[in-house]
Amino acid sequence: MANDLSLRIVIVDDSPVRAAILSEGLQEAGFVNVLRLEGVNNLLERIYAIDPDVIIIDLENPSRDTIEQMFQVSREVKRPVAMFVDQSDKSTIEEAIAAGVASYVVDGLRKDRVRPILETTISRYRAFARLREELEEAKSQLEERKLVDRAKLILMKAKNIDEQTAYGLIRRTAMNEKKRLVDIAQSIITAAELLR
Amino acid sequence: MRRLAMGFIPLTDAAVLIAAAERGFSMAEGIEIDLHREVSWANIRDKVNVGLLDGAHMLGPLAIASSLGLGHVRVPLVVPFALNLNGSAITIAKDIYEEMGETGTDLSTALGAAGALGRVVAARRAAGHDPLTFAAVYSFSTHTYLIRHFLKAGGIDPDKDVRLVVIPPPFTAESLRNGLIHGFCVGSPWNSVAVEADVGRIAALGAEIFGWVPEKVLGVHARFVNTEPDLLRRLVRALHAAARWCEDPANHEDLARLLAEPRHLGLPADILRRTLDGRLHTAPGGALRAHPDYLVLNRDNANRPNLDHALWMYSQIVKAGQGEWTADAAREAISVYRPDLFDAAVGPPVPAPRPEPDCVATQFGDVFDPERFLATGE
Repeated sequence: MANDLSLRIVIVDDSPVRAAILSEGLQEAGFVNVLRLEGVNNLLERIYAIDPDVIIIDLENPSRDTIEQMFQVSREVKRPVAMFVDQSDKSTIEEAIAAGVASYVVDGLRKDRVRPILETTISRYRAFARLREELEEAKSQLEERKLVDRAKLILMKAKNIDEQTAYGLIRRTAMNEKKRLVDIAQSIITAAELLR
Repeated sequence: MRRLAMGFIPLTDAAVLIAAAERGFSMAEGIEIDLHREVSWANIRDKVNVGLLDGAHMLGPLAIASSLGLGHVRVPLVVPFALNLNGSAITIAKDIYEEMGETGTDLSTALGAAGALGRVVAARRAAGHDPLTFAAVYSFSTHTYLIRHFLKAGGIDPDKDVRLVVIPPPFTAESLRNGLIHGFCVGSPWNSVAVEADVGRIAALGAEIFGWVPEKVLGVHARFVNTEPDLLRRLVRALHAAARWCEDPANHEDLARLLAEPRHLGLPADILRRTLDGRLHTAPGGALRAHPDYLVLNRDNANRPNLDHALWMYSQIVKAGQGEWTADAAREAISVYRPDLFDAAVGPPVPAPRPEPDCVATQFGDVFDPERFLATGE
Protein backbone atom coordinates (compact mmCIF):
# COMPACT_ATOMS: atom_id res chain seq x y z
CA MET A 1 0.00 0.00 0.00
CA ALA A 2 1.26 3.43 -0.89
CA ASN A 3 2.46 5.73 1.82
CA ASP A 4 -0.34 8.00 3.10
CA LEU A 5 1.78 11.04 2.36
CA SER A 6 1.88 10.10 -1.31
CA LEU A 7 -1.93 10.10 -1.67
CA ARG A 8 -2.91 12.16 -4.70
CA ILE A 9 -4.97 15.14 -3.61
CA VAL A 10 -6.82 17.45 -6.01
CA ILE A 11 -8.07 20.84 -4.85
CA VAL A 12 -10.94 22.29 -6.92
CA ASP A 13 -11.18 25.89 -5.80
CA ASP A 14 -11.48 29.03 -7.91
CA SER A 15 -10.00 31.18 -5.15
CA PRO A 16 -6.25 31.12 -5.83
CA VAL A 17 -5.43 32.45 -2.37
CA ARG A 18 -7.51 29.88 -0.53
CA ALA A 19 -6.20 27.06 -2.71
CA ALA A 20 -2.64 28.22 -1.99
CA ILE A 21 -3.30 28.36 1.76
CA LEU A 22 -4.70 24.83 1.71
CA SER A 23 -2.03 23.45 -0.58
CA GLU A 24 0.66 24.91 1.68
CA GLY A 25 -1.02 23.41 4.74
CA LEU A 26 -1.15 19.96 3.17
CA GLN A 27 2.46 20.19 2.07
CA GLU A 28 3.51 21.26 5.56
CA ALA A 29 1.73 18.16 6.83
CA GLY A 30 3.95 16.14 4.50
CA PHE A 31 1.61 15.46 1.54
CA VAL A 32 3.64 15.71 -1.62
CA ASN A 33 1.07 15.10 -4.36
CA VAL A 34 -1.21 18.11 -4.15
CA LEU A 35 -2.66 19.57 -7.35
CA ARG A 36 -5.02 22.45 -7.94
CA LEU A 37 -7.68 22.67 -10.67
CA GLU A 38 -9.57 25.80 -11.65
CA GLY A 39 -12.34 26.64 -14.10
CA VAL A 40 -15.32 24.50 -15.04
CA ASN A 41 -14.40 23.44 -18.57
CA ASN A 42 -13.33 19.83 -18.99
CA LEU A 43 -13.08 19.49 -15.24
CA LEU A 44 -14.03 15.82 -15.46
CA GLU A 45 -11.42 14.98 -18.08
CA ARG A 46 -8.77 16.68 -16.02
CA ILE A 47 -9.83 14.80 -12.90
CA TYR A 48 -9.77 11.46 -14.80
CA ALA A 49 -6.29 12.25 -16.04
CA ILE A 50 -4.98 12.88 -12.52
CA ASP A 51 -6.89 9.92 -11.06
CA PRO A 52 -6.82 11.35 -7.52
CA ASP A 53 -7.31 9.57 -4.21
CA VAL A 54 -8.94 12.59 -2.63
CA ILE A 55 -10.86 15.52 -4.13
CA ILE A 56 -11.40 18.67 -2.10
CA ILE A 57 -13.91 21.18 -3.47
CA ASP A 58 -15.15 24.50 -2.11
CA LEU A 59 -18.89 24.86 -1.60
CA GLU A 60 -19.03 28.03 -3.69
CA ASN A 61 -18.07 25.92 -6.69
CA PRO A 62 -21.10 24.97 -8.83
CA SER A 63 -19.19 22.01 -10.27
CA ARG A 64 -20.05 19.87 -7.25
CA ASP A 65 -23.15 18.52 -9.01
CA THR A 66 -21.10 17.70 -12.09
CA ILE A 67 -18.49 15.88 -10.03
CA GLU A 68 -21.06 13.91 -8.05
CA GLN A 69 -22.69 12.67 -11.24
CA MET A 70 -19.32 11.37 -12.35
CA PHE A 71 -19.19 9.22 -9.22
CA GLN A 72 -22.62 7.78 -9.97
CA VAL A 73 -21.91 6.85 -13.57
CA SER A 74 -19.38 4.17 -12.74
CA ARG A 75 -18.50 3.34 -16.35
CA GLU A 76 -17.00 6.81 -16.64
CA VAL A 77 -14.69 6.47 -13.67
CA LYS A 78 -11.77 4.14 -13.29
CA ARG A 79 -12.16 3.96 -9.54
CA PRO A 80 -15.44 4.74 -7.80
CA VAL A 81 -15.38 7.72 -5.50
CA ALA A 82 -17.62 8.48 -2.57
CA MET A 83 -18.15 11.36 -0.25
CA PHE A 84 -15.80 10.76 2.64
CA VAL A 85 -18.11 11.54 5.45
CA ASP A 86 -20.83 9.06 6.29
CA GLN A 87 -23.33 8.85 9.11
CA SER A 88 -20.67 7.93 11.66
CA ASP A 89 -18.82 11.14 10.85
CA LYS A 90 -21.63 13.54 11.51
CA SER A 91 -19.48 16.06 13.34
CA THR A 92 -16.85 16.00 10.59
CA ILE A 93 -19.39 16.69 7.85
CA GLU A 94 -20.91 19.48 9.94
CA GLU A 95 -17.52 21.09 10.48
CA ALA A 96 -16.57 20.75 6.82
CA ILE A 97 -19.85 22.15 5.45
CA ALA A 98 -19.80 25.00 7.98
CA ALA A 99 -16.22 25.77 6.93
CA GLY A 100 -17.41 25.81 3.31
CA VAL A 101 -15.75 22.71 1.90
CA ALA A 102 -16.63 19.17 0.80
CA SER A 103 -14.39 16.24 0.03
CA TYR A 104 -14.57 12.96 -1.84
CA VAL A 105 -12.23 9.97 -1.68
CA VAL A 106 -11.82 6.80 -3.72
CA ASP A 107 -13.96 4.04 -2.38
CA GLY A 108 -12.21 1.68 0.00
CA LEU A 109 -9.66 4.16 1.29
CA ARG A 110 -9.68 3.84 5.07
CA LYS A 111 -11.02 6.85 6.89
CA ASP A 112 -8.17 7.16 9.35
CA ARG A 113 -5.82 7.60 6.37
CA VAL A 114 -7.82 10.54 5.10
CA ARG A 115 -8.65 12.16 8.41
CA PRO A 116 -5.45 14.26 8.66
CA ILE A 117 -6.16 15.64 5.18
CA LEU A 118 -9.68 16.61 6.14
CA GLU A 119 -8.59 18.16 9.43
CA THR A 120 -5.99 20.29 7.69
CA THR A 121 -8.56 21.30 5.08
CA ILE A 122 -11.14 22.38 7.64
CA SER A 123 -8.66 24.40 9.67
CA ARG A 124 -7.19 26.09 6.58
CA TYR A 125 -10.64 26.96 5.23
CA ARG A 126 -11.53 28.48 8.57
CA ALA A 127 -8.28 30.44 8.59
CA PHE A 128 -9.07 31.75 5.13
CA ALA A 129 -12.59 32.78 6.18
CA ARG A 130 -11.12 34.73 9.11
CA LEU A 131 -8.57 36.32 6.82
CA ARG A 132 -11.30 37.36 4.42
CA GLU A 133 -13.38 38.86 7.23
CA GLU A 134 -10.40 40.88 8.45
CA LEU A 135 -9.70 42.04 4.94
CA GLU A 136 -13.33 43.10 4.44
CA GLU A 137 -13.22 45.00 7.69
CA ALA A 138 -9.97 46.75 6.79
CA LYS A 139 -11.44 47.59 3.39
CA SER A 140 -14.59 49.11 4.83
CA GLN A 141 -12.55 51.10 7.37
CA LEU A 142 -10.49 52.49 4.53
CA GLU A 143 -13.66 53.34 2.60
CA GLU A 144 -15.08 55.10 5.63
CA ARG A 145 -11.94 57.14 6.13
CA LYS A 146 -12.05 58.21 2.49
CA LEU A 147 -15.65 59.39 2.90
CA VAL A 148 -14.83 61.39 6.04
CA ASP A 149 -11.85 62.97 4.22
CA ARG A 150 -14.08 63.99 1.32
CA ALA A 151 -16.69 65.45 3.70
CA LYS A 152 -13.98 67.38 5.53
CA LEU A 153 -12.77 68.88 2.26
CA ILE A 154 -16.30 69.96 1.32
CA LEU A 155 -16.79 71.69 4.68
CA MET A 156 -13.35 73.34 4.54
CA LYS A 157 -14.16 74.88 1.15
CA ALA A 158 -17.77 75.81 1.90
CA LYS A 159 -17.17 77.35 5.31
CA ASN A 160 -13.57 78.42 4.78
CA ILE A 161 -12.36 76.58 7.89
CA ASP A 162 -9.32 74.44 8.60
CA GLU A 163 -9.20 70.66 8.64
CA GLN A 164 -9.36 70.25 12.40
CA THR A 165 -12.41 72.50 12.72
CA ALA A 166 -14.15 70.62 9.89
CA TYR A 167 -13.45 67.30 11.57
CA GLY A 168 -14.67 68.66 14.91
CA LEU A 169 -17.90 69.79 13.26
CA ILE A 170 -18.56 66.35 11.75
CA ARG A 171 -17.79 64.64 15.05
CA ARG A 172 -20.01 66.95 17.10
CA THR A 173 -22.89 66.51 14.68
CA ALA A 174 -22.48 62.74 14.81
CA MET A 175 -22.57 62.81 18.60
CA ASN A 176 -25.57 65.12 18.74
CA GLU A 177 -27.55 63.05 16.23
CA LYS A 178 -26.34 59.74 17.69
CA LYS A 179 -25.07 58.65 14.29
CA ARG A 180 -21.81 57.26 13.02
CA LEU A 181 -19.13 59.59 11.70
CA VAL A 182 -19.35 57.98 8.28
CA ASP A 183 -23.13 58.50 8.09
CA ILE A 184 -22.74 62.24 8.68
CA ALA A 185 -19.90 62.33 6.14
CA GLN A 186 -22.11 60.54 3.62
CA SER A 187 -24.96 63.04 4.10
CA ILE A 188 -22.57 65.96 3.64
CA ILE A 189 -21.33 64.43 0.37
CA THR A 190 -24.87 63.73 -0.83
CA ALA A 191 -26.01 67.24 0.04
CA ALA A 192 -22.99 68.76 -1.72
CA GLU A 193 -23.70 66.73 -4.85
CA LEU A 194 -27.35 67.84 -4.83
CA LEU A 195 -26.39 71.49 -4.41
CA ARG A 196 -23.69 71.43 -7.04
CA MET B 1 -41.53 35.66 15.14
CA ARG B 2 -39.50 32.60 14.14
CA ARG B 3 -36.59 32.85 11.71
CA LEU B 4 -36.04 30.09 9.18
CA ALA B 5 -33.07 29.76 6.83
CA MET B 6 -34.25 28.54 3.41
CA GLY B 7 -32.06 27.69 0.44
CA PHE B 8 -32.87 28.13 -3.24
CA ILE B 9 -31.24 27.74 -6.64
CA PRO B 10 -31.76 30.67 -9.06
CA LEU B 11 -34.65 29.28 -11.12
CA THR B 12 -38.12 30.61 -11.92
CA ASP B 13 -39.72 27.85 -9.86
CA ALA B 14 -38.18 29.22 -6.67
CA ALA B 15 -40.97 31.81 -7.11
CA VAL B 16 -43.31 30.50 -4.42
CA LEU B 17 -40.58 30.35 -1.76
CA ILE B 18 -39.23 33.79 -2.68
CA ALA B 19 -42.72 35.32 -2.74
CA ALA B 20 -43.52 33.74 0.64
CA ALA B 21 -40.41 35.38 2.09
CA GLU B 22 -40.71 38.77 0.38
CA ARG B 23 -44.41 39.49 -0.07
CA GLY B 24 -45.60 39.09 3.51
CA PHE B 25 -47.01 35.55 3.37
CA SER B 26 -44.57 34.08 5.89
CA MET B 27 -44.85 37.15 8.16
CA ALA B 28 -48.60 36.54 8.32
CA GLU B 29 -47.78 33.13 9.84
CA GLY B 30 -45.22 34.57 12.26
CA ILE B 31 -42.23 33.36 10.28
CA GLU B 32 -39.32 35.39 8.96
CA ILE B 33 -37.61 33.60 6.08
CA ASP B 34 -33.92 34.27 5.41
CA LEU B 35 -33.29 33.28 1.80
CA HIS B 36 -29.93 31.74 0.91
CA ARG B 37 -29.00 31.49 -2.75
CA GLU B 38 -26.98 28.33 -3.36
CA VAL B 39 -24.84 27.25 -6.32
CA SER B 40 -25.41 23.49 -6.30
CA TRP B 41 -28.06 20.94 -5.36
CA ALA B 42 -25.34 19.10 -3.45
CA ASN B 43 -24.96 22.19 -1.24
CA ILE B 44 -28.72 22.33 -0.70
CA ARG B 45 -28.79 18.68 0.34
CA ASP B 46 -25.75 18.95 2.64
CA LYS B 47 -26.81 22.19 4.29
CA VAL B 48 -30.28 20.85 5.03
CA ASN B 49 -28.63 17.70 6.37
CA VAL B 50 -26.38 19.48 8.86
CA GLY B 51 -28.99 22.09 9.79
CA LEU B 52 -27.39 25.16 8.21
CA LEU B 53 -30.65 25.38 6.28
CA ASP B 54 -34.07 24.63 7.81
CA GLY B 55 -35.45 23.70 4.41
CA ALA B 56 -35.01 24.38 0.73
CA HIS B 57 -36.27 24.63 -2.83
CA MET B 58 -35.37 21.14 -3.98
CA LEU B 59 -35.72 18.73 -6.90
CA GLY B 60 -38.36 16.09 -6.15
CA PRO B 61 -36.08 13.21 -7.22
CA LEU B 62 -33.26 14.63 -5.08
CA ALA B 63 -35.47 14.41 -1.99
CA ILE B 64 -36.25 10.79 -2.83
CA ALA B 65 -32.69 9.77 -3.77
CA SER B 66 -31.31 11.37 -0.59
CA SER B 67 -33.85 9.60 1.57
CA LEU B 68 -32.92 6.29 -0.08
CA GLY B 69 -29.18 6.97 0.25
CA LEU B 70 -28.62 6.79 -3.52
CA GLY B 71 -25.46 8.39 -4.86
CA HIS B 72 -24.57 9.74 -1.46
CA VAL B 73 -24.93 9.27 2.29
CA ARG B 74 -28.53 8.81 3.37
CA VAL B 75 -30.24 12.06 4.35
CA PRO B 76 -33.84 11.48 5.46
CA LEU B 77 -35.90 14.26 3.85
CA VAL B 78 -39.58 15.00 3.94
CA VAL B 79 -41.73 16.78 1.35
CA PRO B 80 -44.80 18.51 2.87
CA PHE B 81 -45.34 20.85 -0.11
CA ALA B 82 -44.81 20.78 -3.88
CA LEU B 83 -43.57 24.13 -5.18
CA ASN B 84 -44.55 23.55 -8.82
CA LEU B 85 -45.24 21.17 -11.66
CA ASN B 86 -43.54 21.39 -15.07
CA GLY B 87 -41.44 24.39 -16.14
CA SER B 88 -38.62 22.68 -18.05
CA ALA B 89 -37.70 22.64 -21.71
CA ILE B 90 -35.19 20.97 -24.01
CA THR B 91 -32.81 23.26 -25.86
CA ILE B 92 -30.68 22.07 -28.76
CA ALA B 93 -27.52 23.70 -30.15
CA LYS B 94 -28.25 25.87 -33.20
CA ASP B 95 -26.25 23.78 -35.69
CA ILE B 96 -27.76 20.49 -34.54
CA TYR B 97 -31.23 22.06 -34.67
CA GLU B 98 -30.55 23.08 -38.25
CA GLU B 99 -29.57 19.49 -39.07
CA MET B 100 -32.83 18.38 -37.46
CA GLY B 101 -34.72 20.78 -39.73
CA GLU B 102 -32.92 19.40 -42.79
CA THR B 103 -34.38 15.93 -42.12
CA GLY B 104 -37.71 17.38 -43.27
CA THR B 105 -39.46 16.27 -40.09
CA ASP B 106 -42.11 18.51 -38.53
CA LEU B 107 -40.34 20.08 -35.55
CA SER B 108 -43.44 21.73 -34.12
CA THR B 109 -44.24 18.75 -31.87
CA ALA B 110 -41.98 17.20 -29.23
CA LEU B 111 -42.35 13.77 -30.83
CA GLY B 112 -41.42 15.19 -34.23
CA ALA B 113 -38.36 16.92 -32.78
CA ALA B 114 -37.31 13.70 -31.02
CA GLY B 115 -37.60 11.75 -34.27
CA ALA B 116 -35.56 14.35 -36.14
CA LEU B 117 -32.87 14.25 -33.47
CA GLY B 118 -32.85 10.46 -33.77
CA ARG B 119 -32.14 10.76 -37.49
CA VAL B 120 -29.34 13.28 -36.87
CA VAL B 121 -27.76 10.99 -34.26
CA ALA B 122 -27.98 7.99 -36.63
CA ALA B 123 -26.50 9.97 -39.53
CA ARG B 124 -23.64 11.21 -37.39
CA ARG B 125 -22.91 7.69 -36.18
CA ALA B 126 -22.92 6.43 -39.79
CA ALA B 127 -20.46 9.20 -40.69
CA GLY B 128 -18.18 8.15 -37.82
CA HIS B 129 -18.63 11.34 -35.78
CA ASP B 130 -18.28 11.45 -31.98
CA PRO B 131 -21.54 10.89 -30.10
CA LEU B 132 -23.44 14.02 -29.09
CA THR B 133 -23.42 15.15 -25.46
CA PHE B 134 -26.57 16.25 -23.63
CA ALA B 135 -26.81 17.76 -20.20
CA ALA B 136 -29.26 17.78 -17.37
CA VAL B 137 -28.65 19.94 -14.33
CA TYR B 138 -28.55 17.18 -11.74
CA SER B 139 -28.51 13.44 -12.07
CA PHE B 140 -31.54 12.86 -9.80
CA SER B 141 -33.86 15.31 -11.54
CA THR B 142 -36.96 15.39 -13.66
CA HIS B 143 -34.72 16.94 -16.34
CA THR B 144 -32.69 13.75 -16.55
CA TYR B 145 -35.87 11.70 -16.94
CA LEU B 146 -37.40 14.14 -19.44
CA ILE B 147 -34.40 14.09 -21.71
CA ARG B 148 -34.06 10.30 -21.44
CA HIS B 149 -37.74 9.89 -22.37
CA PHE B 150 -37.35 12.36 -25.25
CA LEU B 151 -34.23 10.63 -26.61
CA LYS B 152 -35.85 7.19 -26.40
CA ALA B 153 -38.90 8.48 -28.30
CA GLY B 154 -36.48 9.42 -31.07
CA GLY B 155 -35.02 5.92 -31.14
CA ILE B 156 -31.89 7.03 -29.26
CA ASP B 157 -30.45 4.89 -26.46
CA PRO B 158 -29.54 7.48 -23.80
CA ASP B 159 -26.88 5.18 -22.34
CA LYS B 160 -25.19 4.14 -25.60
CA ASP B 161 -25.87 6.54 -28.45
CA VAL B 162 -25.14 9.80 -26.63
CA ARG B 163 -23.30 11.01 -23.53
CA LEU B 164 -25.34 12.41 -20.65
CA VAL B 165 -23.57 14.84 -18.31
CA VAL B 166 -24.49 17.31 -15.59
CA ILE B 167 -23.96 21.06 -16.05
CA PRO B 168 -25.12 23.67 -13.48
CA PRO B 169 -27.93 25.88 -14.89
CA PRO B 170 -25.90 29.12 -15.14
CA PHE B 171 -23.34 27.33 -17.37
CA THR B 172 -25.79 25.72 -19.79
CA ALA B 173 -25.78 28.51 -22.39
CA GLU B 174 -22.01 28.94 -22.17
CA SER B 175 -21.45 25.18 -22.57
CA LEU B 176 -23.64 25.15 -25.70
CA ARG B 177 -21.69 28.06 -27.12
CA ASN B 178 -18.28 26.44 -26.68
CA GLY B 179 -19.48 23.07 -27.95
CA LEU B 180 -19.00 21.13 -24.72
CA ILE B 181 -22.61 19.98 -25.00
CA HIS B 182 -25.11 19.83 -27.88
CA GLY B 183 -28.32 20.19 -25.93
CA PHE B 184 -29.76 20.22 -22.45
CA CYS B 185 -32.88 19.95 -20.38
CA VAL B 186 -33.18 22.61 -17.68
CA GLY B 187 -35.81 24.55 -15.80
CA SER B 188 -36.76 28.08 -16.74
CA PRO B 189 -35.50 30.61 -17.42
CA TRP B 190 -32.23 29.04 -18.59
CA ASN B 191 -33.65 27.76 -21.89
CA SER B 192 -34.74 31.30 -22.70
CA VAL B 193 -31.34 32.60 -21.65
CA ALA B 194 -29.66 30.29 -24.22
CA VAL B 195 -32.16 31.39 -26.88
CA GLU B 196 -31.59 35.10 -26.13
CA ALA B 197 -27.83 34.49 -26.35
CA ASP B 198 -28.54 32.95 -29.79
CA VAL B 199 -26.70 29.70 -29.00
CA GLY B 200 -29.66 27.31 -28.89
CA ARG B 201 -33.21 26.65 -30.02
CA ILE B 202 -36.00 25.35 -27.79
CA ALA B 203 -36.96 22.00 -29.31
CA ALA B 204 -39.63 20.91 -26.82
CA LEU B 205 -41.35 22.17 -23.71
CA GLY B 206 -41.35 19.77 -20.78
CA ALA B 207 -45.15 19.88 -20.70
CA GLU B 208 -45.19 18.50 -24.27
CA ILE B 209 -43.44 15.33 -22.99
CA PHE B 210 -44.97 14.87 -19.54
CA GLY B 211 -47.95 17.19 -19.12
CA TRP B 212 -48.15 17.09 -15.32
CA VAL B 213 -44.73 16.28 -13.97
CA PRO B 214 -43.42 16.86 -10.41
CA GLU B 215 -40.62 19.40 -10.34
CA LYS B 216 -39.43 21.38 -7.30
CA VAL B 217 -40.61 20.75 -3.77
CA LEU B 218 -40.06 22.13 -0.32
CA GLY B 219 -37.66 19.64 1.26
CA VAL B 220 -37.01 19.61 4.99
CA HIS B 221 -35.06 17.24 7.20
CA ALA B 222 -37.20 14.54 8.82
CA ARG B 223 -36.30 15.89 12.29
CA PHE B 224 -38.17 19.15 11.48
CA VAL B 225 -41.46 17.23 11.33
CA ASN B 226 -40.84 15.56 14.65
CA THR B 227 -39.60 18.55 16.62
CA GLU B 228 -41.69 21.46 15.30
CA PRO B 229 -44.93 20.22 13.75
CA ASP B 230 -46.74 23.51 14.39
CA LEU B 231 -44.01 25.61 12.79
CA LEU B 232 -44.07 23.31 9.75
CA ARG B 233 -47.85 23.73 9.41
CA ARG B 234 -47.45 27.51 9.47
CA LEU B 235 -44.70 27.32 6.88
CA VAL B 236 -46.87 25.19 4.57
CA ARG B 237 -49.79 27.64 4.97
CA ALA B 238 -47.51 30.55 4.11
CA LEU B 239 -46.23 28.77 1.00
CA HIS B 240 -49.75 27.87 -0.06
CA ALA B 241 -50.91 31.48 0.20
CA ALA B 242 -47.81 32.57 -1.73
CA ALA B 243 -48.46 29.94 -4.43
CA ARG B 244 -52.03 31.21 -4.95
CA TRP B 245 -50.65 34.72 -5.35
CA CYS B 246 -47.95 33.56 -7.78
CA GLU B 247 -50.45 31.66 -9.94
CA ASP B 248 -52.59 34.76 -10.54
CA PRO B 249 -51.54 36.38 -13.86
CA ALA B 250 -52.39 39.78 -12.35
CA ASN B 251 -49.33 39.38 -10.10
CA HIS B 252 -46.89 38.13 -12.75
CA GLU B 253 -45.48 41.57 -13.47
CA ASP B 254 -44.62 42.14 -9.80
CA LEU B 255 -43.40 38.57 -9.39
CA ALA B 256 -41.12 38.83 -12.43
CA ARG B 257 -39.59 42.02 -11.02
CA LEU B 258 -39.11 40.37 -7.61
CA LEU B 259 -37.38 37.35 -9.15
CA ALA B 260 -35.25 39.57 -11.37
CA GLU B 261 -33.58 41.28 -8.41
CA PRO B 262 -29.84 40.59 -8.24
CA ARG B 263 -30.15 38.88 -4.84
CA HIS B 264 -32.67 36.39 -6.30
CA LEU B 265 -32.15 35.35 -9.94
CA GLY B 266 -30.40 38.44 -11.27
CA LEU B 267 -31.87 38.00 -14.77
CA PRO B 268 -33.96 40.29 -17.04
CA ALA B 269 -37.56 40.67 -15.82
CA ASP B 270 -39.04 40.36 -19.34
CA ILE B 271 -37.55 36.87 -19.83
CA LEU B 272 -38.87 35.82 -16.41
CA ARG B 273 -42.28 37.27 -17.22
CA ARG B 274 -42.56 35.14 -20.37
CA THR B 275 -41.61 31.97 -18.46
CA LEU B 276 -44.26 32.74 -15.82
CA ASP B 277 -46.81 33.23 -18.59
CA GLY B 278 -45.72 30.09 -20.44
CA ARG B 279 -44.84 31.88 -23.68
CA LEU B 280 -41.26 31.21 -24.75
CA HIS B 281 -39.28 32.49 -27.70
CA THR B 282 -37.76 29.49 -29.48
CA ALA B 283 -35.36 31.72 -31.42
CA PRO B 284 -34.22 35.26 -30.56
CA GLY B 285 -37.22 37.56 -31.06
CA GLY B 286 -38.77 34.73 -33.06
CA ALA B 287 -41.84 32.54 -32.84
CA LEU B 288 -43.44 31.95 -29.46
CA ARG B 289 -43.93 28.42 -28.21
CA ALA B 290 -46.72 28.48 -25.66
CA HIS B 291 -48.34 25.94 -23.38
CA PRO B 292 -51.01 26.65 -20.75
CA ASP B 293 -49.31 24.19 -18.36
CA TYR B 294 -45.74 25.23 -19.12
CA LEU B 295 -45.27 26.11 -15.44
CA VAL B 296 -47.92 25.31 -12.83
CA LEU B 297 -47.46 27.00 -9.47
CA ASN B 298 -50.73 26.36 -7.64
CA ARG B 299 -53.84 25.36 -9.54
CA ASP B 300 -55.49 21.92 -9.50
CA ASN B 301 -53.89 20.80 -6.24
CA ALA B 302 -50.40 21.25 -7.70
CA ASN B 303 -48.98 21.98 -4.23
CA ARG B 304 -50.30 18.83 -2.57
CA PRO B 305 -47.59 16.13 -2.52
CA ASN B 306 -48.87 13.39 -4.82
CA LEU B 307 -47.91 9.85 -3.76
CA ASP B 308 -48.13 8.55 -7.34
CA HIS B 309 -45.61 11.24 -8.31
CA ALA B 310 -43.19 10.02 -5.64
CA LEU B 311 -43.51 6.49 -6.96
CA TRP B 312 -43.13 7.68 -10.57
CA MET B 313 -39.88 9.46 -9.68
CA TYR B 314 -38.57 6.29 -8.06
CA SER B 315 -39.56 4.34 -11.19
CA GLN B 316 -37.50 6.79 -13.28
CA ILE B 317 -34.53 6.37 -10.92
CA VAL B 318 -34.77 2.60 -11.51
CA LYS B 319 -35.27 3.00 -15.28
CA ALA B 320 -32.21 5.22 -15.55
CA GLY B 321 -30.14 2.61 -13.72
CA GLN B 322 -29.51 4.94 -10.77
CA GLY B 323 -30.89 2.51 -8.21
CA GLU B 324 -32.06 -1.09 -7.91
CA TRP B 325 -35.76 -1.78 -7.54
CA THR B 326 -36.87 -3.24 -4.23
CA ALA B 327 -40.39 -3.20 -2.81
CA ASP B 328 -38.99 -1.68 0.41
CA ALA B 329 -37.28 1.17 -1.43
CA ALA B 330 -40.49 1.82 -3.36
CA ARG B 331 -42.45 2.15 -0.13
CA GLU B 332 -39.68 4.29 1.35
CA ALA B 333 -39.81 6.59 -1.70
CA ILE B 334 -43.55 7.06 -1.26
CA SER B 335 -43.12 7.84 2.42
CA VAL B 336 -40.94 10.89 1.58
CA TYR B 337 -44.06 12.61 0.22
CA ARG B 338 -46.40 13.74 2.98
CA PRO B 339 -49.84 14.88 1.75
CA ASP B 340 -51.03 14.35 5.35
CA LEU B 341 -48.81 17.23 6.51
CA PHE B 342 -50.14 19.37 3.68
CA ASP B 343 -53.77 18.59 4.53
CA ALA B 344 -53.16 19.26 8.23
CA ALA B 345 -51.96 22.74 7.31
CA VAL B 346 -54.36 23.85 4.56
CA GLY B 347 -57.30 21.46 4.77
CA PRO B 348 -58.46 18.60 2.53
CA PRO B 349 -57.81 18.86 -1.23
CA VAL B 350 -60.39 20.30 -3.57
CA PRO B 351 -61.58 18.16 -6.50
CA ALA B 352 -59.34 18.51 -9.54
CA PRO B 353 -59.18 16.89 -12.98
CA ARG B 354 -57.14 13.67 -13.16
CA PRO B 355 -54.37 13.78 -15.74
CA GLU B 356 -54.53 11.22 -18.56
CA PRO B 357 -53.27 8.60 -19.32
CA ASP B 358 -51.24 8.47 -16.07
CA CYS B 359 -50.26 10.59 -13.07
CA VAL B 360 -47.69 12.62 -15.04
CA ALA B 361 -49.83 12.93 -18.21
CA THR B 362 -47.27 11.11 -20.36
CA GLN B 363 -47.74 12.46 -23.90
CA PHE B 364 -46.04 9.60 -25.77
CA GLY B 365 -44.08 6.46 -24.96
CA ASP B 366 -44.44 4.17 -21.93
CA VAL B 367 -47.42 4.84 -19.67
CA PHE B 368 -46.83 4.56 -15.90
CA ASP B 369 -48.91 2.09 -13.91
CA PRO B 370 -48.29 2.67 -10.16
CA GLU B 371 -49.91 -0.59 -8.99
CA ARG B 372 -47.95 -2.70 -11.41
CA PHE B 373 -44.70 -0.89 -10.59
CA LEU B 374 -45.22 -1.26 -6.85
CA ALA B 375 -45.85 -4.97 -7.30
CA THR B 376 -43.26 -5.85 -9.93
CA GLY B 377 -40.81 -2.99 -10.39
CA GLU B 378 -41.79 -2.65 -14.06
